[in-house]
Amino acid sequence: MGRDNVIPLIETGIPGFENIIQDEDTGMGGVPENTTSLIYGPPNVGKSIFCYQFMYNGLLKNEPCLYITADYGMKQLEQRTMDFDWFLQNYTTNEMLYVIDALSNFSGAKKQDTNTYKLTAVHNPTDLMVKVGLGTRFVFQKSQKFRSVFDSLTIPFAFNPDKLVIRVLKAYTKRIKEAGGAAIITHTEGSVDENIESLLKDIVDNVFRMDGNKISTEKVVDYKKLESRYKITDKGILIGMG
Amino acid sequence: MKKTHIPKLDDLLGGGVPAGSSIMFCANPGVDCEAFGYQMLNGLVKEGERGFIFTNVAEPDSIIYEFDSYGWDIVSAIENENVFFVDGSSSFIGAPSNAKYSFTDYSETEDVVLKAINDIPDGIAVINNLSTIIDYMGDLETVEIVKKWNKAAKENNTTIIYIFTEWDYEDSMVKKLKSSVDCVVELKTIEERVIVGQGFMVAGASWTEPLDTMILFFVIQPGGVKVYIPKILVTGPYNAGKSSFVKAISTKSVSVDRKAVGAFPTTIAMDIGHLDYKGFFADIFGTPGQERFDLILDVLSKEAVGAFIIIDSTAPQTFARAKEMIRKTRAEAIPKIIVANKQDLEGALSPDEIRDKMKLSKDIPIVPAVITEGKGTQECLDALLKLLYGD
Amino acid sequence: MVINLILRIQSGIPGLDQITADSKTGMGGIPENTATLVYGPPKVGKSIFCYQFMHGGLSLDEPCLYVLTDYGIKQLQQNTSDFGWELDNYIEKEMLYIVDAISSISGTKIINTENFSSSSVHNPTDIMVKLGVGTRYISQRSPRFRSILDSLTTLFAFNQELLIVRVLTAYIMRIREAGGTALITYTEGSADVKVETMLKAVVDNVIKLDGEYLTIEAMVGCGQKKAPYKITNEGIIIE
Repeated sequence: MGRDNVIPLIETGIPGFENIIQDEDTGMGGVPENTTSLIYGPPNVGKSIFCYQFMYNGLLKNEPCLYITADYGMKQLEQRTMDFDWFLQNYTTNEMLYVIDALSNFSGAKKQDTNTYKLTAVHNPTDLMVKVGLGTRFVFQKSQKFRSVFDSLTIPFAFNPDKLVIRVLKAYTKRIKEAGGAAIITHTEGSVDENIESLLKDIVDNVFRMDGNKISTEKVVDYKKLESRYKITDKGILIGMG
Repeated sequence: MKKTHIPKLDDLLGGGVPAGSSIMFCANPGVDCEAFGYQMLNGLVKEGERGFIFTNVAEPDSIIYEFDSYGWDIVSAIENENVFFVDGSSSFIGAPSNAKYSFTDYSETEDVVLKAINDIPDGIAVINNLSTIIDYMGDLETVEIVKKWNKAAKENNTTIIYIFTEWDYEDSMVKKLKSSVDCVVELKTIEERVIVGQGFMVAGASWTEPLDTMILFFVIQPGGVKVYIPKILVTGPYNAGKSSFVKAISTKSVSVDRKAVGAFPTTIAMDIGHLDYKGFFADIFGTPGQERFDLILDVLSKEAVGAFIIIDSTAPQTFARAKEMIRKTRAEAIPKIIVANKQDLEGALSPDEIRDKMKLSKDIPIVPAVITEGKGTQECLDALLKLLYGD
Repeated sequence: MVINLILRIQSGIPGLDQITADSKTGMGGIPENTATLVYGPPKVGKSIFCYQFMHGGLSLDEPCLYVLTDYGIKQLQQNTSDFGWELDNYIEKEMLYIVDAISSISGTKIINTENFSSSSVHNPTDIMVKLGVGTRYISQRSPRFRSILDSLTTLFAFNQELLIVRVLTAYIMRIREAGGTALITYTEGSADVKVETMLKAVVDNVIKLDGEYLTIEAMVGCGQKKAPYKITNEGIIIE
């Protein structure tokens, strides 16, 4: 460690992340422990893949994950992660992955809640927060080191007044931070007014922007802001190449 | 008076809610507050009242489904036209609605609800959720709307129930909203890093001086809102003074020794007590200290909301065992107090020395005590209540 | 070794499956069970893209659910017939379910049949209801099917824009759940730029047509690609 009062990093699972945030003593990269991070950028630049990778790497290290899908359903989450050979089935079975699905109520199929799979509705933030409360407790009891993903704010913005989405985000980040978790929230740049976008950035501890070629650290606690190129491969995001 | 059909709430309100008044369930984000409105409506409809549900957060079909999962029959009341929906949700997501009233624009909310109130004189109106209206209509506008609804409700003798999720609004707006209704019931989360429980408390009622008590509750399906009698765990190494502690804090306690208690083996000595202290009541469970009983620690500790860890201040060699028991009873995740017992004996370590030896974080209180003389026990209770409810 | 198999379906557009080919498997086409947005300025061939996608599926026995908001059923039959694709046969064989949300507006009298529903662009709720019926009808015939919404443009013109985003979200969730592959078209600039951004975020794949080039802006398992195209009497051909 060496330096005092620096928040330790947790590995994101994204190769080359040290090009974005680096512990100068160990050379390792990661996001500061127990902080919240916003990943934003134009549509389809790999923000969700970032989330899958962050979640999956945590699961590999026995860190449970509270995952909120607000842009797609559980079925898509399983399909899309499988495209990268990340299989969630085992983690669902051993209750390391807790999913709050805010969209599948629109799918027309009647789905059932389980211990670690909760349905909610994207236009009912009160119910969403009830599930976040239950989910946080569940993963916290599994391990005090856990991760959480909120992917993404885009659809919530289409279904709720902007200000309400901001309120929900505040309540969510507070809940995760108090429980000691690290959270990633994604947002599609340009889908809301600029003042709302800057409010989003204020709520979180770290801000990363992905633009399809470059990933840059716009805000981070305790570490230097860096930027680097990245690409998306069949193994996920790779930073610092090319 | 109309009954609220929420257990214990009628007692706090002096018997119920006078017809024509307004009551607001005001919830911290994370509290299951919708059940309160639905349960009250369900109970009153069963008594023959009429009512409606205004919704802007769920389609009528999903609310019917929710009633069903609580085990409440709302369908026949809808068929008999005793209950109807004011649907501010379906058209919003492009879903069809067969509600009595539905609307497509938020600006219609005020008028449509007024119409609905006029339809059910002496009935029950449930508004779920007030917070979604606020960010569409504006702070002051919403306060005005609530006032108009309350006025209409009073004239019609309609009882109006608001579900309000208290996100981070301006204090002044929240104050105005709360002061425009006859009764405010606060629904709070009880937290220790995560939500460990939920409680309700009457913050004010225009017709009575409400009892100042927090009632812990949980919501189950089927069933609805149930009062929760919290379990407090008393644990610690063998011979640290657990039995005496349970006795000391209990209004009545039983030591169960070599007697059959439900599912537990007959050879286990355990202490059960009941605490009633400053309006807080709880069941107390003492766990056995010997390692051979560790297997049942998990069972005993399920659902505990707080824990006292009793240690013998003169026996540092047992501290590792105490820490192990914290882990085994999952007390890491709940509020806990370390009771540093036997402070009167020679060689007793001070709380600071204990904290150091046990490597405990600063936010876990260590209270010095001599349980056999009743010294420190009250301080222990106060410390735990402070952790559970804040100051 | 595990090989990720992103299942793909033939796009029906000559040349497109080649440029979308996966480097590992060589397979190309539109990823199955996803939603694709085809957008661009007016008159660059977005609707033709749809006809080809539909026809490509029908000729492989994949039924199709088709939502019309820009032109009516008559026009659809006429336009496809120009390319030599006759739809009557498929309508008869119950391989095609059409929701026509525009003919009623122009006052044309049309009769609903088992696989034809009239609706209105003024009434997204009704479109959603008909879509629900259509999805059931089609998915019962084949677990693999295609669904086309051509286009969002008129819907935006007649309704509140965010409502259309919400309806689209529900539509996509429904098609994905039923196992279908969705194609949605949109004329660039016909909605607020924020809404346009949201659209691209809601779908899985984004394809842009500009009259000269077809650009794959996003697609699972395939990087960004760009290729010139032309519209011939056989439809769009990627060069």
